[in-house]
Amino acid sequence: MIFSISWRNIWRNKVRSLIIITAVALGICAGMFSTSFMKGMMDQRIRQAISTEISHIQIHRQGYRQENSLQLFMNGSPAMVGKIRKINHVKGVSQRIIIQSMVSSAETSSGVKIAGIYPDNEQDVTNLSTKIVEGKYFDGVPKNPVVVSRKLAEKLNVKLHSKIVFTLQDMDKNITAGAFRIAGLFETPNSVYDEMNVFVRHDDLSRLLDFPEGASHEIAILVDDNDMIASVQDEVKNMVADYEVLNWKEISPEMSYMTEIMDMYMYIFIIIILLALLFGIINTMLMVILERVKEIGMLMAVGMNKLKIFTMIMVETVQLSLVGGVAGIVVGSLISKHFETHAINLSLWAKGYSQLGYDTMAYCSLETEMVINITVLVIFTGIIAALYPAYKALKYDPAEALRME
Amino acid sequence: MSNLKIAWRNLWRNKRRTMITSASIFFGVIFATIMSSMQEGSYGTMVDNIVKFYSGYIQVFNEDYWDNKTINNTYELTDSLLKKIEDVEEITFYSPRLESFALASSSDITKGTLVIGIDPEKEDQVTQVSKWLKKGNYLKPGDRGILLASDLAKYLKLDVNDTLIMLGQGFHGISAAGIFPVRGILEFSSPELNKVIYMELSSCQEFYSAYNRVTSLVIMLKDHYDIPIALKKMKESIHAPYNIMTWGEMQPELVQMIGADRAGGVVMKVILYMIIGFGIFGTIMMMIQERRREMGVMVAIGMQRLKLGNILFLETILIGFLGVFTGIFGSIPIISYYFNNPIRLTGDAAKAMIEMGVEPLMTFSWMPSVFYNQALIVFILSLLVGFYPVYKTLKLKINQALRA
Repeated sequence: MIFSISWRNIWRNKVRSLIIITAVALGICAGMFSTSFMKGMMDQRIRQAISTEISHIQIHRQGYRQENSLQLFMNGSPAMVGKIRKINHVKGVSQRIIIQSMVSSAETSSGVKIAGIYPDNEQDVTNLSTKIVEGKYFDGVPKNPVVVSRKLAEKLNVKLHSKIVFTLQDMDKNITAGAFRIAGLFETPNSVYDEMNVFVRHDDLSRLLDFPEGASHEIAILVDDNDMIASVQDEVKNMVADYEVLNWKEISPEMSYMTEIMDMYMYIFIIIILLALLFGIINTMLMVILERVKEIGMLMAVGMNKLKIFTMIMVETVQLSLVGGVAGIVVGSLISKHFETHAINLSLWAKGYSQLGYDTMAYCSLETEMVINITVLVIFTGIIAALYPAYKALKYDPAEALRME
Repeated sequence: MSNLKIAWRNLWRNKRRTMITSASIFFGVIFATIMSSMQEGSYGTMVDNIVKFYSGYIQVFNEDYWDNKTINNTYELTDSLLKKIEDVEEITFYSPRLESFALASSSDITKGTLVIGIDPEKEDQVTQVSKWLKKGNYLKPGDRGILLASDLAKYLKLDVNDTLIMLGQGFHGISAAGIFPVRGILEFSSPELNKVIYMELSSCQEFYSAYNRVTSLVIMLKDHYDIPIALKKMKESIHAPYNIMTWGEMQPELVQMIGADRAGGVVMKVILYMIIGFGIFGTIMMMIQERRREMGVMVAIGMQRLKLGNILFLETILIGFLGVFTGIFGSIPIISYYFNNPIRLTGDAAKAMIEMGVEPLMTFSWMPSVFYNQALIVFILSLLVGFYPVYKTLKLKINQALRA
């Protein structure tokens, strides 16, 4: 009964109610869209980081990550890779030799990190092979092929099939150099990563470094199901007890931290929007009460108890904010859903975004959890907004209220 | 004047409504100012980290250097060029630099790094390198030693008085090799700069066999407002084979990063102000509805509709102003506190920012535009809303209004 009275009350002054409903709807809709947009960019960044840079799980010799020393390698890596590959849910395993070095072209030089990989194994773990924009993935060059980023090639002023020279320190601490020919150019959305990383074949690098047979610095593992990462990690830990086995969150804690920060930031933003809406709703409801003093007095006089009047006004406010809120959530979700499959083009700021590692074709990501949270927040806002006007209404003395104009 | 007075008094006829409406503007303005201040502050830090500590406002290169950054595209430092630079009065300091890459190696760790050859005294005037010195001594003129940035020193496990081996490619392909003692460790606030090696210019030139050659002259000005003037004067006197670039041209990524972030901030502010706008509109609408009869009486006894509209218009603007000014005054203490005490992030948050190449410091900006932009936006909003009551009074039907 109270519900339908409140509902009818809302529509007694259509224009006024519609204004506040539109404000709530627009605010919530815009809030929804911007949160799912930010969320989408963040997810994309993490997916990209996992699929190109860090993978799900990495194995190193204890202390390697701190010292980065060439001597801290793991023996017998092919056997390890073979064993790990047999674990359920493991999609790919790749062993790498990692070394910091200087790369020079005929013109100039730059500092890079060289990864010596088995192209076939690497293909299962990272998406490097799909990021080739020119040339081929370790193919088309007879000897010592290298895959570098387009950005680095530009910096070094070299082209496909040009020769570049790596200067590095081998196992005997001698400085040595090796010439490689560019087989392919790759490009990822992260320009900093592109500039710093080059890939050669494991065997070529091993020969150049005089590296022990079958040794590697790093084994990267990709799992086919995000929920299985922890269990795979445990199994690998049991298998290679002496080594350090870390998942992507442990390798790059700042990455998962960034998501947390972003989530917090988004909720603060939504709360600010709701706070601004709160004032609007309170304002409207106060008007409503002021207008209906006589009527409220009458209701009290004919015996409607205070609790019911309080509830009536509360329900009216919550309904008012919910109508707007639900409209906003529905429209906001639809827009976000649309942009989940249709990219938003940010190429206007391409260089800036790729410096931060973000893709310039951004997709939204809408989470059910967020939709629910926002709905709860909207109801909550309605209740808070109702408190003061409803309290005001209770304060009236029926005898006086009836006589008011 | 009397219109304004009437409008002001009208506002206080319903104190609560005026207070609530201006309170909503007040909070909106506080959020918006603090947000803008933080944004502008962080852009300021980013630009300072690049401009004041590394690139300077303007640099003079060889015309081929920017597209092809090799040691072969350097130029000889001539007196006539220096004379032309000194003639531009906006230029406060300048410093010659030779930059190239080398493989730096301690006993068993190597890493390719950027090497910057500097004139110790002049560079210190331009980018204040010595103030970042954490350990050891700063370079002296003619010094054969080097300064290591702290991240690189940590990576190579080197300390003051240790020696570093460097290998590189010198001028016209001559191979460059040398052993250098570490004179000091520099700890920069910018993560990017924390991996470089500083050398004395002449020993750097000797190392790369690029005698008396430099890659660039770094130019410092009083502030960025002088850039266009100095640039114009320099372009008039300095021609090919030289190329003059401003920091914005050298760091397009940074400029875009700021642009993208600023655009994100604008979207948030638009949403916020849209809601506030609706709030003002709602209030004004209710006010008119409530006072229909009063307005009808006034027009009936001969008040000009335009004058009545004018008063209502002024009321709208006054509500807006009330909210904006209280909001700005409310945000001033907060911003001034954080302007003087920037928040230094620690732990994972700091790591996340360093990962993105940004100093983990949250600074606030004290720029006037942070404040007057809000005032301007609210003013425009209330102007727009203000037309509604004017329209309503012009359309008022007296006989109906009197019966309302």
